[in-house]
Amino acid sequence: MTDKKPLLEARQVFKGFFGNPVLKGVDIALHPGRVHALLGENGAGKSTLINLLSGALQPDSGAIAVDGRPVGRFSPATARAAGIAVVQQELSLTADLSIAENIGLGAFPRRFGLIDYAALHRGVREVCAMVGLTEPLDMPVADLALGRRQMVEIAKALFRKPRVLILDEPTSSLSAHEAGILAGVIEMLRDRGTALLYISHRLNEVQALCAHVTVLKDGGVTADQSLSGIDGEGLVRLMVGRETGDLFPPRPACTPGAPRVDVTGFSAGLVRDIAFSARAGEIVGIGGLVGQGQEDLLLGLYGAIPAKASSAEVSGKSGLPADVGAANAAGLVYVPADRKHEGLVLPHSIASNLILPSLGRLARNGFRDRPAETGLIADLARRLTIKGDVARPVQALSGGNQQKVALAKWLPLDPSVLLLNDPTRGVDIETKREIYLMLRAFAAEGRLIILASSDTPELVHLCDRVVVLREGHVAATLVGDAISEEAIVGAAMGVDRKGAAA
Amino acid sequence: MSAVSSSGWLYGAIQSRRNRGLGGLYLVVAAFLVLYVVLFPGILSVGGFSKFTQNWFPLALVTMAQALLMLNGGITLAIGPLVSLGAVIAATTMGGVFGVPGGILAVALTGLGIGAVIGVIVAQLRLPAIIVTLAGSFIITGVALLLLPRPGGFIPGWLSTGLAGHTPVAFLLLVLILLLWKVFLATPLGLGIYAAGDNPIGAFRSGVPVERVKIAAFALSGLLTALAGLFVAAQTGSGDPVIGAPFTLNSIAAAVLGGVGFLGGKGTMRGAVCGSLLLSVMINVMFFLGFPPVAQYIAQGLIIVGAVAVPELLKQWRARR
Repeated sequence: MTDKKPLLEARQVFKGFFGNPVLKGVDIALHPGRVHALLGENGAGKSTLINLLSGALQPDSGAIAVDGRPVGRFSPATARAAGIAVVQQELSLTADLSIAENIGLGAFPRRFGLIDYAALHRGVREVCAMVGLTEPLDMPVADLALGRRQMVEIAKALFRKPRVLILDEPTSSLSAHEAGILAGVIEMLRDRGTALLYISHRLNEVQALCAHVTVLKDGGVTADQSLSGIDGEGLVRLMVGRETGDLFPPRPACTPGAPRVDVTGFSAGLVRDIAFSARAGEIVGIGGLVGQGQEDLLLGLYGAIPAKASSAEVSGKSGLPADVGAANAAGLVYVPADRKHEGLVLPHSIASNLILPSLGRLARNGFRDRPAETGLIADLARRLTIKGDVARPVQALSGGNQQKVALAKWLPLDPSVLLLNDPTRGVDIETKREIYLMLRAFAAEGRLIILASSDTPELVHLCDRVVVLREGHVAATLVGDAISEEAIVGAAMGVDRKGAAA
Repeated sequence: MSAVSSSGWLYGAIQSRRNRGLGGLYLVVAAFLVLYVVLFPGILSVGGFSKFTQNWFPLALVTMAQALLMLNGGITLAIGPLVSLGAVIAATTMGGVFGVPGGILAVALTGLGIGAVIGVIVAQLRLPAIIVTLAGSFIITGVALLLLPRPGGFIPGWLSTGLAGHTPVAFLLLVLILLLWKVFLATPLGLGIYAAGDNPIGAFRSGVPVERVKIAAFALSGLLTALAGLFVAAQTGSGDPVIGAPFTLNSIAAAVLGGVGFLGGKGTMRGAVCGSLLLSVMINVMFFLGFPPVAQYIAQGLIIVGAVAVPELLKQWRARR
């Protein structure tokens, strides 16, 4: 096994974006006839590594080698020519074209310059039979359910007869039956000598299919070993555990006050029939893998997307807020994850962003009250330690300071419940510390903070309570000492923890 | 299952699927045509049919030119000026040493060349097509006015009679162009226009040369537009540097009537051509019924909004049930 040459390798690759190192000297080698698992938490660098291996990005240093030879400039075209195919998480399909045309796109068999539909038909029928696609081949992809589109995507990769196949979370939208078919295809390709790289958050799949594992943590490799003799908990331990130093403020003994949010049978978007309650003075974390319903839970409580509940009491009123205006009136505010698009008006000044939610309240006789506005702006800037001239456009600020503006603009409304969606994404360490201190202070003032986060240490060290969502359901509720990175990641990935029931 | 194994099955099945969702449009077009025949039975004679299709022909061409770009996720506001420029170049070159063939070649090359240049600017500099073609429309208008400040020039009489006389030559040309489009759509480049319009990132990852596809779409669109200008010149017997102006917005209106979406990848060329026929018939019917011009404009606008709104309302209504 080991005497075979790897088909595709990354050797000591480094890659950073805007000065943030994402990969710090990563090695990975894909051998023919082996299914290789790539594991890591959100933001560990998995996607970047895939992009390097498929030529979509160039490494800052280090090399990508095909058949043992380093390639100088690796592009998607040279990757395809070398027989590397990727099944991406986002689909690469064209909705109005047929299944057959989508599978052949970019690799059409031709005759006299025209697409050879007869040859296309034969080739497509073969790969569709492999993945169990029984729909008529002339059907437009738009008519297929998401899981079936994913199967088309897989058939498309197989149509190119790859020597190296990279599968990025291929089963996230598949039914159990479809995932079983895919597992069969993977085993068949492995036996034919294809090198496979399998990225998944479902550890049972990884353990069933893969022979070798590379674990990434913070852009470095923490394990590159055979999968035999390592269990789910062992894998989770390799993924977590970061030095946090004095980043987080001390957590005082929690003395929760009156209930502020109490819902049962709550459904919104991806969230299905959950019970959730939180009290004044708490910081409640919402964790889980990306896209398990965390954002929908916040938006549903905020009245921004349709939601329903069998019983609901939010901020002292019974029933869910009907819309954002009602939520604001009830003392709920929301700080979105995508602050550049949803949270701020980038070209406008810091000052005008800060007073935007208060404009109506500050008006006198229908006209703006300039002195009152100036006073409010100065007060907010001081409380949030926003330094410098508030007439500068918000887009001139760093990500962290932008986030502070997005948060600060709500304070004049004196909110009783703050819904925060990943407030420290892309924020530097120093500002993170300031934001954490601020959130602690809000909690001490008796406000409720509900914080969805993709940053596990933040959930562990900042929150009084952590609710982990998985596929729209509550996978775990952790309190006090039970909050640990292992517990959160384990629950998010569906690992059965021995003794956790006690 | 024998149909499945025959080699032509897949292509035929995909083609017939493309009629899906166009049934309503076909019905409306048929209804308007019947109304037209009832009002003006003269259309059933060879001469009447020829005249009718000659009125429709340039609109059909510019609608194809517009739909080609809209399917690719683009748009052009330079249709009208390019029609004018095509007419002006035809009228100024056909009297020269190379005669009519030289004139046709000059028009075709101008259209291809201008389209390709716009395409390169849009694709390589990643500028919005609507701005680049707006700028282009001013420049092209200027050039047309430079070449021929006043309507005039020379078109041989036999060409005018041939293209716009009492024979359905224009209709046959349109059928030929539609057949060529079908052949083009059966090439990787042709399908690439759809794929790059609907999901450019996915198409790029699949190996479609997205930039080259875009440039080709603009070049072909320019060619069709300039040839429409040539036809207009033959129809009127001279070149007019501003004759194309109404075509810009009418081409968008016809493509929208035909179900072509603004965001790329949605719609069909057969739908767009039907849309242009519908628009052409509507204008004729309102004209012959003696609508005052103001009422014609307003009716046209209402019908276009309705054509876009009705399917959307139907969809919402179905979703609620």
